Amino acid sequence: MRRTRIAILASAVAALAASGALAQDKTIKIAGFGAKSGVVRSFGINSEAAMLAAADVINKSGGVKLADGSKAKIAVEFLDDRCNAEEGISVIRRIAGTDALVAIGPTCSNVAEPLFGILQKKVDDKGDSGLQFPVFTDVAIKVGLAKISEWAFRNVPNEMTMYSSVFYWLHQKNPQLKTVYGGVEEDFAHSRASWHVIMKDRAQANGFSIAGESKWLLNDTNFATQVREMKKANADVVAIAAHPFTTCGVLKEMARQGVKPKVLVGLTSSSSMETLQGCAKQAQGIIIPTSFAPVSKDGKFAAQQTARFKGSADLHSMAAWENMFILRQVMESEKISGKPGDVQADRRRIRDGLAKLKTTNGLLGVTKRTDDREADKPYLFVQAKGNDWVVLHNPL
Amino acid sequence: MDFYFGLAQLIGVHTLLGLSAYIVLLTGQVSLAQAGFFAIGAYCAGMLTVLAGWPIVPALGASALAGAVTACAVGFPALRVKGLMLVIATLAFGEGVRLFFFNFDYQIAKGDIKVGPLGGEGFRQIRYFPEHGWSTLEVMLFVWAFVAASMALLWWFDRSRYGAALRAVGEDELAAQSVGLNLTAVKVSAMTVGGAIAGIGGGLYAHYTTHIEHSSFNILVATFAIAYPIVGGLRNVFGTLAAVVFVQAFLVEGLRDLGDWRNLLFGALIVLAMNLRPQGFLGRRRRA
Amino acid sequence: MLDFIQSVTDGVLFGATYALIGIGFTLVFGVMHKINMAYAAASIGGAYAGLLVLKVTAAAPPSLVFLGAFVAGGAIGYFVYLTCFHFIPLASPLATLMSTVGMLLLIDEIIVHATDGMPQNYPAMFDDVMLRAGELTMRGDLLLVFAISVLCMIGLLALLYRTRLGLATRAVSQQAVAAQLCGIRVGRVNATTFVITGLLGGIAGALIGASVGTLSPLLTTPLTVKGLIVTVIGGLGSIPGAIVAGLLVGGFENVLQQFRGVTERDLYVMLLLFAFLIFRPGGIFAPGSGRD
Repeated sequence: MRRTRIAILASAVAALAASGALAQDKTIKIAGFGAKSGVVRSFGINSEAAMLAAADVINKSGGVKLADGSKAKIAVEFLDDRCNAEEGISVIRRIAGTDALVAIGPTCSNVAEPLFGILQKKVDDKGDSGLQFPVFTDVAIKVGLAKISEWAFRNVPNEMTMYSSVFYWLHQKNPQLKTVYGGVEEDFAHSRASWHVIMKDRAQANGFSIAGESKWLLNDTNFATQVREMKKANADVVAIAAHPFTTCGVLKEMARQGVKPKVLVGLTSSSSMETLQGCAKQAQGIIIPTSFAPVSKDGKFAAQQTARFKGSADLHSMAAWENMFILRQVMESEKISGKPGDVQADRRRIRDGLAKLKTTNGLLGVTKRTDDREADKPYLFVQAKGNDWVVLHNPL
Repeated sequence: MDFYFGLAQLIGVHTLLGLSAYIVLLTGQVSLAQAGFFAIGAYCAGMLTVLAGWPIVPALGASALAGAVTACAVGFPALRVKGLMLVIATLAFGEGVRLFFFNFDYQIAKGDIKVGPLGGEGFRQIRYFPEHGWSTLEVMLFVWAFVAASMALLWWFDRSRYGAALRAVGEDELAAQSVGLNLTAVKVSAMTVGGAIAGIGGGLYAHYTTHIEHSSFNILVATFAIAYPIVGGLRNVFGTLAAVVFVQAFLVEGLRDLGDWRNLLFGALIVLAMNLRPQGFLGRRRRA
Repeated sequence: MLDFIQSVTDGVLFGATYALIGIGFTLVFGVMHKINMAYAAASIGGAYAGLLVLKVTAAAPPSLVFLGAFVAGGAIGYFVYLTCFHFIPLASPLATLMSTVGMLLLIDEIIVHATDGMPQNYPAMFDDVMLRAGELTMRGDLLLVFAISVLCMIGLLALLYRTRLGLATRAVSQQAVAAQLCGIRVGRVNATTFVITGLLGGIAGALIGASVGTLSPLLTTPLTVKGLIVTVIGGLGSIPGAIVAGLLVGGFENVLQQFRGVTERDLYVMLLLFAFLIFRPGGIFAPGSGRD
C-alpha cells in the first residue's frame, strides 16, 4: 500500500516535472517570405518547404542554444508577398512588428530592391529612420542588391564567377568552339544584366567572339525574327539569358527553323523543373551553372527532407535551407537571449553576426562571404538529360 | 504599430489613385490612363528629390503639375472617342507611358555612383524619407494630408455647380449640352484634376517604396485605379476610400491568414461584390 | 528586302492567333455591347483544361486535347456569363466591366494554383512543318491557325445570318426590349452567345498554346491587350474586321520589331491604334450604325 502511494506520488512528481520542462520550451521565430502567387508560385512553395524542413531537423536535434544555456525551438512562418513591391514592404513591416528575429526572402528581385531601400542604410546612423531588421535573402538574384543596406544579406550564387568558369571550361574542353550568340529577355532586370554585364563579358574574356545578340520581352510568344538572326550568325555556342517560358519558346522556334548550335548555355535560375516541364525535349543538352545539385550526402538529405514538406530542392530552395543553418550558427555564436523583451537587441546581434561571417557552410561545400554582404558559392554545371538535370561537370 | 502606419500609407496612396479615376468617371469616361499619370508623377518627383535635391513638397507640386499637363493633353483627343474605345485608347496611352519609361535613361553621377532612372533596371534609391529621418508615422500623416486635401477638394466640387456639371455630363451628354454645358471644358477639366491627383499619388509612391520601375505601373495598376471608384460607388469620395480599405486592408492583408485561399478569394469576392451591389458600396441604385 | 518580306510574313502568320482571339472579343461586344475582359483568360483556361485529357490518357493525340479545350471553353464561357452578365442589370455597365476583371483574376489564380505557375508543354499539330516559297519560309502550324480562323468566321457568319438563333442574336443586339416583345428570350440568347464564343475561345486558346509551344499564365495579359486592340482596329462587332486587324497588327509589330528593336515595338502598336482612333474611329470594317 505504501509502495503504491510512493509510486503514484513519484509518477505525479515526474509528470509535473515533465510538464514544467515542456512549459519552459522556448521558441524563436524566423519568418520567411516570398512569392506564392503568379508564375513564380513554385519558388515560394519550395522555399517554405525548405525552411520548414530545416527547422524540423534543427528542432529534432535540440534546437538553438540561447545565451542562458537553455535551448529554444525554431518556429517558421511564411508570408506571401505576391511578387509585389508594396506588398513586400507591408510584409516586412508586419514581420518586424512581431517577435520574429530575422526574415529569409524575398523571391523576386523587384521586391528585394524596394525592400532593401526602406531598411536603414548604415547601421548606427541615428538620422536614418529606415527599418532595422535583418533580411537574409535566398532567391532574389539581381546583381548588387545587398549593398543597398547594411541590414541586407544574400546567399545567392555569383553569376560572374560561374559563367566565367563555364566559358573557360567550354574553351578548354573544345577549342574549336569560337563564337557565341546571345538571346536575352530585355525587360527583366536579372536576365538582362546576366547577358549584357556577365555572359557577354565572360565569354569574350575566355577567348570567344560575340557573333551577335537577339532580344525579346518576358512574355513574348513569337521568336521567328530573333531565331532567324541566330541562324544567320551560325554561332558555335548559343547562350540564352531568359526564364523558362521564353526559353522554351525560343528553343521550340530553333527546332522549327533547324538551328542546332554545338553548345547551348542557359540562365542559372532556369535550371529548375519549370524548364523541363515546359519543353524537356527541346531543352536536351542545355548546360547551366548552378549552386545546387544533390551530389553530397548533405545535399541528398536536404532534398529528401524538403520533399517531406512537399517542396522540391533546387538552387533557390536549398539556399533557404542553408540560410536556416547559418542563422542557427550565428544565433548561437552571438549568444542571442531569446527573451521576449530583447527582440530588437537580438535582431542587432544576428545582423552583426551575419556581417562578421567570412565563410558559411553550403550544400556543395564552403561558401565565401564577400564584403558587400553577398555570397561566393561553390557551383557545378548541370545538363538537361531526359526529364532531369544531371551533373555534367563538377569544378570543385 | 509600424505595420499599421505603413498600411495606412499604402491605403492613402491607393486612395489618391482611385480618386484620380473617380473624378473622371463622374463625367462618364472610363479612363485606364490614370496609372500613366501616376507613373509620370512618380518619376518626376523622384528625379527632383534625388537628382536635383529638391525638398519633397515642391517636388510633389511639380509632379502634380506634370500629371495635370499630360492629362490635359490627353483630355482633348479623348473627347473624340466614347465608351469601349475610350477604355482601350486610355489603356494604350498608359502602356505607352510605361514603355516610355522602360526606354528612359537619365543618370548623373553623385559621388562615385550613378543615380537616376535606368530604363529596364528602374530608378533606385529614392530615399528622401529615411535619409531625412522621417518616421513611418510622419510619412503616413504626410500622405494623408494630401489625401484629405484631395477628398476635401472633390467633396467641395460635389457641393458646387461644377460637381453638378460633372455628373450631368456623366448622366446624359446630350441633355447636358442642351442646357448649355460646355462638354469639352467639363471633360478636359475633370481629366486635368484627375491627372494632378494621380501625379501627387505617384510622387508619394516613389518615395515610400524607394524604387520604381516600368513594371510598377502596369495594366493591373490601371485596372485597380478604376476598380476602386467602381466598387466603392460614385455617390461620393468616401466610396472610393471604402473600396481601397476593402481591397488593401481586408482582401490583401486581412485574408492573409487564409494562406493560399486569399488569392482565389480576391477575384471571387470582386465578382460577388459586383453582383450583389452593382452600384458600388456607397452608390445609388439606378432605375433601369 | 527579303528580310522585310520574311518579317511581314512571320508577323502576319502569327497575327492569325490574334485574329482568333479578336473574333471572340468582337462578337461579345457586337451582341451585348459590353466587353468581356475575361475572354482571353477564359480561352487560356480552356486550353489548360484540355491538358487534363493527357492526364487521363497520356498518349492522347493533339486533336483530342484540342477537343477537350473546345468543350472546356464553352463551359467556362457559360460560367462567365452567369457570374458577370446574367445577374447584373443592364444599366450598370461599369459593374459588368469590373466583374469580368474579377473573373480574369480568378481564372488566372485557378490556373496558377493548379499548375504552381509552371509552364506546361502543349501538344502541337504540324509544328515541325515549314513551307517554302522560294527564299521565304512559313510556319505550317500558323497557316492551319489562319485556316481555322477563316472557317470560324464563315461558320459564325452563317450562324448569324442564316439561322434563327442568329436572327434572334442580331435582334437582341439591336434592340433588346423590342426583341423581348417579339417573344425572344434575351437571357437564353445571351447565354448561347457566350457558350459559342467560349467554344471558339477554347479552340483559340488551344491553338495559341500549340503555336507558342508552352502554356503559361504569362499569356493572359498580353492576349487581352492585343485582343482589345484588334477588336477596336477591326471595328467593334465586325468579325471579318477582327481577322484583318489581327493579321495587320501581327505583321506591323513584327516589322517594327525588326527595325526599331523589341523594346520600342509595343509603343508603335499603340501609335497604330491611336492613328486608327483619330483617322478611322469605326475601325477597318465599321459596321453600319444602328438607330440608337
